[in-house]
Amino acid sequence: MIKETIYNLRHQPVVTVVTVTGTALSIFLIMVFVMMNQVRVAPFAPESNRDRFLHYNWLSFKHESWSEGSDSNGPMAWKVVNDLFYTFKSPEAVAAYTSSTDVKSVGIQGEKTFAADVRETNSGYFDVFDFSFVSGRPFSREEEDAGLPLAVIDTNVARTLFGTEQAEGKRFQINGGDYSVVGVVRPVSPIADRAYAHVWINTQSTDMPSSTWAEIGGSYTVTMLVPDGKTAGEVKGDFNRHFEAYNSGLGKSGWTIINRNRPYTQEKLAVSDFANVEPDLETYRKTGYTIYAILLLVPAINLAGMTHSRMRRRVGEIAVRRAFGATRFRIFSDIITENMLITLAGGLIGLLLSLLAAFGFGNVLFAMNYNYSLSPVSVNPSMLLQWSTFGWALLFCFILNLLSAGLPAIQMSRIGLVNSLRGGANK
Amino acid sequence: MKRKLFKQIRAEWRTNVWLALELLIVSVVMWYIVDYFYINLTIMSQPRGYDTEHCYRLSFNTVTDKNPGFIKDRTYEETCSDADEILTRLKHLPFVEAASLSVNSHPYNGSSNGTSIQRDSLTQYGFLPFYQVTPDFVKVFRYEGFGGESAEQMADMIEKGEILMAGSVFGDLKYSAENLVGLDFTLDGDTTRTYRLGAALRPVRHNDYTEWGTVLVKKLPLEYYGWAGEYCIRVRPDMDRDIEKQLMDMSESLFHVGNNLLVNVTSFKFVRERYQQAQSNQMRDMIFLLCFLLLNIFLGLFGTFWFRTQQRTGEIAIRMSMGATKTDIFRRLLTEGLILLVIVTPFAVALDCLLAWNEFSQFYEYSHIGWGRMTVTCCGAFLLIALMIAGGIWIPASRARRIQPAIALKDE
Repeated sequence: MIKETIYNLRHQPVVTVVTVTGTALSIFLIMVFVMMNQVRVAPFAPESNRDRFLHYNWLSFKHESWSEGSDSNGPMAWKVVNDLFYTFKSPEAVAAYTSSTDVKSVGIQGEKTFAADVRETNSGYFDVFDFSFVSGRPFSREEEDAGLPLAVIDTNVARTLFGTEQAEGKRFQINGGDYSVVGVVRPVSPIADRAYAHVWINTQSTDMPSSTWAEIGGSYTVTMLVPDGKTAGEVKGDFNRHFEAYNSGLGKSGWTIINRNRPYTQEKLAVSDFANVEPDLETYRKTGYTIYAILLLVPAINLAGMTHSRMRRRVGEIAVRRAFGATRFRIFSDIITENMLITLAGGLIGLLLSLLAAFGFGNVLFAMNYNYSLSPVSVNPSMLLQWSTFGWALLFCFILNLLSAGLPAIQMSRIGLVNSLRGGANK
Repeated sequence: MKRKLFKQIRAEWRTNVWLALELLIVSVVMWYIVDYFYINLTIMSQPRGYDTEHCYRLSFNTVTDKNPGFIKDRTYEETCSDADEILTRLKHLPFVEAASLSVNSHPYNGSSNGTSIQRDSLTQYGFLPFYQVTPDFVKVFRYEGFGGESAEQMADMIEKGEILMAGSVFGDLKYSAENLVGLDFTLDGDTTRTYRLGAALRPVRHNDYTEWGTVLVKKLPLEYYGWAGEYCIRVRPDMDRDIEKQLMDMSESLFHVGNNLLVNVTSFKFVRERYQQAQSNQMRDMIFLLCFLLLNIFLGLFGTFWFRTQQRTGEIAIRMSMGATKTDIFRRLLTEGLILLVIVTPFAVALDCLLAWNEFSQFYEYSHIGWGRMTVTCCGAFLLIALMIAGGIWIPASRARRIQPAIALKDE
């Protein structure tokens, strides 16, 4: 079978090249789109638990004195973190952190300072996000509550400040204030936008917990970790009951929180652009399907035309096989299988090209919307080389093959014996 | 000859249906992409109304009690005069041409403030973007007056408490700013004081991808200085080198004022790039899609016509021996491909119109559709595809030209 296919392909080199190129092009672009979406939802360190995340990204609320339809949307006050999320026992861990990183001046007394992205977090943050510690450890709940000025820094900051990655226990300044290093972690790409920063500090060491706007608005975002053995839906159900109780208690002060169906899964968060509307996963998916459809359909029609032409030259051969007893299904499946080999060859080239493009032009392909991080976007193999990537590539190859070879194969399996052997089935 | 061509197209209808179907789908998607680029490039080519070259944004943080220089019990009034002091120090730097402080006002801004404007019984409903700025703001970004007023003149107007406006107000009445200069208005329903419209600004676009909008500019009161936070500077072009580093090196010595500390300086090139990332990402995807479709057309036509010229060697040789020139053969093959495109184009245009009618096309000048625009975009899509068809047929057709009738027909 393979020998026969290779013979056929070598016999028509130009058509083979065109077919393989067309397939490779299609799979290349599809895989680039797959990867662009994948980095937003697929797990990789330090967001390895993305499939277990439940995000309460913004707080939406209104006051009874406000006019009809008015509401405020944004990060929440520490008070809400404390009263609503610290009292909620269903998740395995709760991370509370400033919704965006803040550029601060980092340095050592008397020496030059530099700008770094700083995020304020609680201690649970390090249970939810799995940072790779090169030395030291995260700060503990006790240290958080005591308001100790502790910081976790990445290896780049450690090397710039101290010339070594073993910086545990060393002191430095953030905006002129003293901090001690408790741990050093590997740098985080801005693609992991919840975990990204250069320096993570104990939020209780600053005045951030006490700064609020409109009483319950503040600077924090919460991510909860769904425990093993529970589904996100179950934790969300628990949360809704807990939330209702909290919200009605809050009502006495005139405030009402509008839930907008929060908390969101990672997939839903990835398509969330605005704080004042619930993200529309359906529309987003439909747009995605349309793009995939175009990327598959256009080359499929192209290749179908090509397959059809290729088959026309072999009418005689197929007719002879039919005459010797090959069933229609046999003819059909042979053509499909033969074509699948070409598709797989093209698909492999396309996949390799897409990986090359992803690593070579990562900063262009994965540039994130509304991102102001100091570090440029970078990708690493752990983000892109996922089993699902290969799974998708194989699936798309299979669909492309069925689309492009299906109809010609059916036609060929139906050719009339007498006519074709006489040479009259060329139409 | 044309009749024979049609006959031939009909005779090979099976492969031609594949081609035509592909051309139809590609024509429609291509039209969508051409429309996208046509509208966006049209908007991008229009003047923005300001200039951000050589401009920088400075970020300040409030230091905490952990900083030895922290001043306890700093009052809000003192914080406001600290901000004023920062502005004064910035203006005295040799490389700074102008410096301003504002609230959600600078170009490429993710945040915005709105207000409402009234005169007599007229009220502007809806969101009216509102810039509260120190007078030099118009000098930093070189806003232009509609009546030829210079940035300096407009800065003086803001200083006097007058307002500036771009675009039009009062809903459907669409009073243009330039027709309202010299009139008094009240803002935000506060009838205790009026503001004279000092000058109209040349049309302002909030970023490179949006159309002209309405803007109201007013002086930032001193009591807002404490939380305004947007420090922007324009640097002398001949001294625009390493500004970020120069300023950051002065951070502790010159720009630690009160409890404010300079922590970061970013050029507006960076601000602009990052702010528009969502749009430029979309444009990137569209370019990918465009190239993908064009390449597919090229490959499809190339493959199909390679086959055809191979199969028709005999036919072509007979034509040549009957007196057809090489150019005739070449032209005939090209025409065959283009006829297919011409046949599907009416269907494609109908689909395009249907899509535009249902508002799937870009929104521009209050509409998704229009005669002029549809003509340009449909022709654009047609030409692009025609070019690719010609490209795809070129190589097989050139091969057909080289057929030697005597050799090709020796078996006959």
